[in-house]
Amino acid sequence: MRELRVAEGELSDEGLLAGMAVGDQSAAVTFVRRYQRRVFGLAYSMTGDAGVAEDVAQEAMIRVWRHAPVFDPRRGSVASWVLTITRNLTIDALRMRRAVPTDPDDFAASALRSNEHNPEDVVKRGDARDIVRGALALLPHEQRRAVVLAAVYGRTALEISESEGIPLGTAKTRIRTALMRLRAAVEHEEGVSDEQ
Amino acid sequence: MNDDPIDAGCDKYSDELAELALGVLTGRERALALSHVESCQRCADELEQLSRVADTVVQVAPEVEPPMGFEVRLFEKMGVSDELAPRRTRKERRERAHRHRSRSVRWGTAAVAVAAAAAVALGLGLSLPSSNPPTESAHGTGHARGQVESAHLVQNGENVGRVAVFGGKQPWMSMMLTDDSSVRGTVNCVVVTKDGARHHVGTFTVSPDGYGAWIAPLDHVDPGDVRTAEVVSPSGTVLATATLS
Repeated sequence: MRELRVAEGELSDEGLLAGMAVGDQSAAVTFVRRYQRRVFGLAYSMTGDAGVAEDVAQEAMIRVWRHAPVFDPRRGSVASWVLTITRNLTIDALRMRRAVPTDPDDFAASALRSNEHNPEDVVKRGDARDIVRGALALLPHEQRRAVVLAAVYGRTALEISESEGIPLGTAKTRIRTALMRLRAAVEHEEGVSDEQ
Repeated sequence: MNDDPIDAGCDKYSDELAELALGVLTGRERALALSHVESCQRCADELEQLSRVADTVVQVAPEVEPPMGFEVRLFEKMGVSDELAPRRTRKERRERAHRHRSRSVRWGTAAVAVAAAAAVALGLGLSLPSSNPPTESAHGTGHARGQVESAHLVQNGENVGRVAVFGGKQPWMSMMLTDDSSVRGTVNCVVVTKDGARHHVGTFTVSPDGYGAWIAPLDHVDPGDVRTAEVVSPSGTVLATATLS
């Protein structure tokens, strides 16, 4: 029988959310400290406005705190859940304030730079985020813009076709091709990891 | 459900699957695509894989240190006292101060703490019940705050899940049964303390495929005294046991 005895700061994300679900305040504080840079970073990278980003990040954390009981790990990771909440709130905030979002090229560039300048931050070899960052860098510029506009800024194919000045079919093809290439990169890396 | 590897209908939805995974498909197109996915296992699998990648694109955003006072303002809104949190280590405080001095609110900030936390994450795999989880506070504890004891849940010599008991001002426990368990339907969770007393923690439901997970406060039980946790059938048969200490 294996026993584990660890400090709360070393708990998994799921463990912290379970604590938050029963109102454990120390779990909430640990969770906030673990995720605040990612949540604020996403909001800031989409808005370019620290004030709006703080409002969004705080609201996202409050929603996670309130809705922790309904998180279901079978539907995705904690990081995915938290950052999707953040993304949706940021899109809402941009619409409500009629603010201009950052350019998808800037978002992509900052995402790629974040690893380049901080190699010590790479969580571990084979991390899906790093793989997707690498694959994004290899995509043709127009495909990268299309997939970032859809995945991050929530733009539909029609909206992308209008903003990019391209036919709807072209926008759909760019989105699909880009996402398929990202998936292929992830599958390739996972295959390599399995062989090692 | 269509498992046929060759289905002309699938080609029609190839573009839509990507947009569906990205969450940007709307209206009638979305309804039609969803209807197809529900009847086609191949496209359902494809959608799941694409969704996983789409979710990761959002996660590549750079980490940025929030402005000074972010935590204070947030905890105030949440009604949370940061005094309850584990103290930052001296190294963490130094690193945080350095981040604020040198690169507050700009691209490409470090995330050493997140990386470290992710690397040591235990992966307890907890889930929550579909019904309302218990939220009332529990009582005193001899268990140090922020401590957890965890053990495999064993059924006929096989690991079929995990139990974790958490200390703190508000002790609670979690239990998870994997799909491998043969437990089904309504079961009880019972903990046995070091004095041999049995405490009923709650009644829960395991899905037809054997998966179940729940959390519950440990009312009137000192988490440090818990020796075993059991999954017990309504008739009183012990179906699986975890020995915590």
